[in-house]
Amino acid sequence: MINYIYDGSFEGLLTAIHEAFYRRENPAGIFSAHNLQTNLLDSNIYVSTDILKYEKVQKAIIEKISSQSLQDLFYVFLSENINAGTWIYRYLKLGFRMGCKVESFLTDETVHIINKTSQRVLREYHRMLGLLRFKLIAGNVYYAAFRPDNNIVALLAPHFEERLPMHNWIIHDVKRNLSAVYDCSSWVLTDMEISPDINLDDKENDYNGLWKQYFKSIAIESRRNPRLQKNFMPKRYWDFLPEKQP
Amino acid sequence: MDTLTKLGILGDAAKYDVSCSSSGSDRKNTKDGLGSGYKAGICHSWSDDGRCISLLKILLTNKCMYNCVYCVNRATNDIPRASFTPGEVIDLVMNFYRRNYIEGLFLSSAVEKSPDHTMEQMLEVVKKLRIEYKFNGYIHLKAIPGADMTLIAQSGLYVDRMSINIELPSSQGLKLLAPQKEKQSILKPMKYISSQIIEKSEERRLSRRAVPFVPAGQSTQLIVGATPDHDLNILTLSENLYKRFNLKRVFYSAYVPVSSNPLLPALKQPPLLREHRIYQADWLLRFYGFSANELLDETHQDFDMSLDPKCDWALRNIHLFPVEINRVDYEMLLRIPGIGVKSAQRIVRARRVCQLSYDDLKKIGVVLKRARYFITCRGKYYGGISLNQPAIRDCLLLGSNERIPRQDTWEQLSLFSNTFSLNTTSLTPVYNSAD
Repeated sequence: MINYIYDGSFEGLLTAIHEAFYRRENPAGIFSAHNLQTNLLDSNIYVSTDILKYEKVQKAIIEKISSQSLQDLFYVFLSENINAGTWIYRYLKLGFRMGCKVESFLTDETVHIINKTSQRVLREYHRMLGLLRFKLIAGNVYYAAFRPDNNIVALLAPHFEERLPMHNWIIHDVKRNLSAVYDCSSWVLTDMEISPDINLDDKENDYNGLWKQYFKSIAIESRRNPRLQKNFMPKRYWDFLPEKQP
Repeated sequence: MDTLTKLGILGDAAKYDVSCSSSGSDRKNTKDGLGSGYKAGICHSWSDDGRCISLLKILLTNKCMYNCVYCVNRATNDIPRASFTPGEVIDLVMNFYRRNYIEGLFLSSAVEKSPDHTMEQMLEVVKKLRIEYKFNGYIHLKAIPGADMTLIAQSGLYVDRMSINIELPSSQGLKLLAPQKEKQSILKPMKYISSQIIEKSEERRLSRRAVPFVPAGQSTQLIVGATPDHDLNILTLSENLYKRFNLKRVFYSAYVPVSSNPLLPALKQPPLLREHRIYQADWLLRFYGFSANELLDETHQDFDMSLDPKCDWALRNIHLFPVEINRVDYEMLLRIPGIGVKSAQRIVRARRVCQLSYDDLKKIGVVLKRARYFITCRGKYYGGISLNQPAIRDCLLLGSNERIPRQDTWEQLSLFSNTFSLNTTSLTPVYNSAD
């Protein structure tokens, strides 16, 4: 069984897809070099990224299926699931045959897994819009750390660029060590090292305390429901929420 | 008094206003401003009672001249009183917003000195936030009953949502528990705001430069359980409010006993399940095409506590079922228990490509535990029992995947009988034959 391996980027993935269609080798799976599990029985073929091939596939998806599908496939890629590449390949095999109707083919296994996964990424993105917490650190920078399941830093940056255009900010994905850094004019993605002990601005503790007080005051005692709270706000996100710190 | 103490008092005083939404506004930011709207709304946190926190919800002051019996801020209640200065409110909003704690401000107030005076104070805060501090996040402002219409008209230009709480669902309730408030003083500004919204959105259609007026619409709140009003009254009132005033939402707040006045019911716990049923019915009105008198009528004026309103309606109208999933129209799909708006839309979409099988429905997100009794799929019925109301009701109430038939079809099993007396086509055995 042949597998194609790409370099872990979205451009690399679409290049591998291009090769899968044009070389007519029909690979069993398409995997990222980052989370590769080697298997004695499979032969892995490395595909080097080619921007022209990537653009060709991207254009084909938009024209033959739809731009909505391209976006969904990108979200599936961001899920970093080990099978994401394979699912995307199968979806495109179906999609290039059916056209935009594939999006309504909700009963098919492949379409279903693509929808489910892209919904999961979108849901985490939406949740993070709310749960991301900034703190003012020395140097007049607003710093936010978080640990998302999916790779969504680049999705979050434009939202905060619109909201906080006049402030420097950093959104730091601690799990992947990937940060979006904004300097009042534009933002970039970087993997620079950020040390965990950061000097807070003097007034930061005051606002922290005010928020904790508000959080406490707003709950109605006779309606206390910790299970419902955990339902909406899973415990794994509590590390970076000031209201959930002692 | 420092800001921290004031926040404790005035945040606590505002918590019975349950409106939590930050949706409906797509306000854009300016290059030198702070904040923007987000159409679907964003929940930033969830409090210990499980409710969403998306705005800084505070009273500007809790020094009230009224004495409404059900309210924690009533004049004769002995509690610490405080007032924010506009500067304090603005500082909180701006700094919380920068840290992404909130979507914006929810500003309410007790009525101090007079409705006009209170409204002016609130207008000052909101105007300053928008103009001086260039804040473009979400603002929800309460309108004070009895305040001058010009103040309300001015406020509407700066905020995203306005609301006035009706609280008591009937005029008798109002007269009894809040005699200083008049029904007209509540309804008049609601009518005014709703007509202004329509007028101003017409102006905006003609000229993009017209300033939006309360773009996220109006809402209100009703207290459930403080008065003897039936669910039918409450639901009919909501239905009329939606139709006449084009409200975006009606919120329902289970009455939390905050005083031991003989005019109020002596509840130990707030009626949370009743509130939940009313919310379910409210959703049925707004998204599922039901009308209030389909759900409740003179013969039963209150919701069944053991079944949700949709299942209850389906059982009372069992003659309409079962319906064939592959043919029934969208409006009827919405009425099947276990099928929500998303599933109904997905079914319609998937049907265009292929015929649906029973297993497909699970992928689509249909709750088969409930839906199976009301549908056929490709002509086949998967409910497993005969389509009669009491049997299905029992199964729904049991909420388990095993079908437990009614008492009169049970038979005492003996070691010597080879078969179950029940229809065994797809039944998981309930009894161990070695019993």
